[in-house]
Amino acid sequence: MSSAGKASGRKKRISGQAKGRKPLPPSKSEAENRESVRRAAINVFILFHLVAIICVALPWNLPITSSVKELVRPYMRWTGLYQTWDMFGPDPEMVNSYVKSVIITQDRHVQVWSFPRMEELGFGERYEKERYRKFLEVLPQTQYAPLWPDVARHLARSLNNQADPPDKVMLIQFQSEIRPGVDDSHEPTPRPNVFYDDYLQPGDLK
Amino acid sequence: MTLRKLREAWDHFFFTPQSPVPISLFRIFWGICVSAKILLLHSDWLNWYGVHGWVTLQTMQVVEPGIRLNLFTVMPQDDRWIAAFFWVFLGCALLLTVGLWTRVMSVAVFLCLTSIDQRNLLMLHGGDTFLRCAGFFLMFAPAGAAFSLDRLIAIRSRKQDAQIKPRAPWAQRIIQIELALLYLTSFFWKLKGHTWLNGTALYYVMHLHSIARFPLPHWIQSAAMLRAGSWFTLALEFSLGTLIWSRRFRNPLLLLGLLFHLSIEYSFNLPLFEFDVLTAYILFVDPVDLEKWWSALRQHLGRRAVPLLS
Repeated sequence: MSSAGKASGRKKRISGQAKGRKPLPPSKSEAENRESVRRAAINVFILFHLVAIICVALPWNLPITSSVKELVRPYMRWTGLYQTWDMFGPDPEMVNSYVKSVIITQDRHVQVWSFPRMEELGFGERYEKERYRKFLEVLPQTQYAPLWPDVARHLARSLNNQADPPDKVMLIQFQSEIRPGVDDSHEPTPRPNVFYDDYLQPGDLK
Repeated sequence: MTLRKLREAWDHFFFTPQSPVPISLFRIFWGICVSAKILLLHSDWLNWYGVHGWVTLQTMQVVEPGIRLNLFTVMPQDDRWIAAFFWVFLGCALLLTVGLWTRVMSVAVFLCLTSIDQRNLLMLHGGDTFLRCAGFFLMFAPAGAAFSLDRLIAIRSRKQDAQIKPRAPWAQRIIQIELALLYLTSFFWKLKGHTWLNGTALYYVMHLHSIARFPLPHWIQSAAMLRAGSWFTLALEFSLGTLIWSRRFRNPLLLLGLLFHLSIEYSFNLPLFEFDVLTAYILFVDPVDLEKWWSALRQHLGRRAVPLLS
């Protein structure tokens, strides 16, 4: 800018001030504007997620956390951010349990198949099969009853013998109580609970 | 505290630039844990996720309804596709670990990870949940800014200089908050029961046959030790959820937490859980301390001191 131009600019500002107008704030550059919008968006993102995560993770159903939980549940479920950290809480399991299945074939032969039991596996195998421990912890619960026919069909398919195909599947959970102070050798005999018992349907083995 | 001071503290905590070395190291550890998880699932991949697996996709949607980010719902229901998905997922996890196309890979790995978790929600443990939640925020972090092939390529092609530039750590901060929340809410959950408070909880845990691993000395299994162990667990979980934010207590607590998780790893069969959680410890380590430890290690090995942070 020429010195004449600078001078006229100065003159304009002075005349503006003389009329009692406030001087204009220095205009933000476009980059600064973009940055502040970006920062605001990140702040909203952080705040939303912190509130959502804390309300979902806290183990109490306070009125405020329950409302937030309800509100954010679809989003948390969709993203997979839904979380509960109840490791061995509120109390650890107080029973030892395992699950076995009994398959009765069309020729009335009986086959017993045991789901992987961690205590019977080697060190490396336990790493691989640990998912079964977790799965079998929840499988016998009645809220998961819709899963039982799937598990029965999968078993029947895996153990299918064309000459004598499976006809019926039973799923049995064995449980023994852990009694404080009782020696392991005097542990009570596990009690069976047949939680699923049904015939296979035509087409289940396909 | 005034609103202005609160705002300043918020800005300082989430946006003051800091070295991206901890988040980059976290990316590597996290990538290794995800890869290990995938590999351990290999032998049962189709049993868990196949069209005719233990639980079908349709049944899972009945038991756990709701719209979920799950690639299995858009994938052709064919075991060949599902088997191919295993290799794609593993490939992406390995590329993320070495830091090639880091941002894209972090998105791909998160999508795959959340998909397998949503496909079968009934076989997950806390470690899986932590990996998934941390993976979500990792997508937003400058995870390839150090120790990555991306950076190496950028330096070679002169798009970046050798000095690692500090970055806003907001995504890293959320993962740190996730870890602290894990401990704190775990502590709160335990307070809801009675066995942790009366000191008998560890007795039950130690007598669960399905998670027992290596034998423990008898003196550890005495009533007094088990009671002390139950209370120590409560105290440590509370401290790791709260005092970890204090610089004064941080390093001793991280060390205690590390020993705690390694002793659980020795005693109990909870595969990968301990390592999944430990990955995030690196996010709490001061980059200056990392530099000091790195120099000390190099000197101990009789090597020339090479700065870690550049």
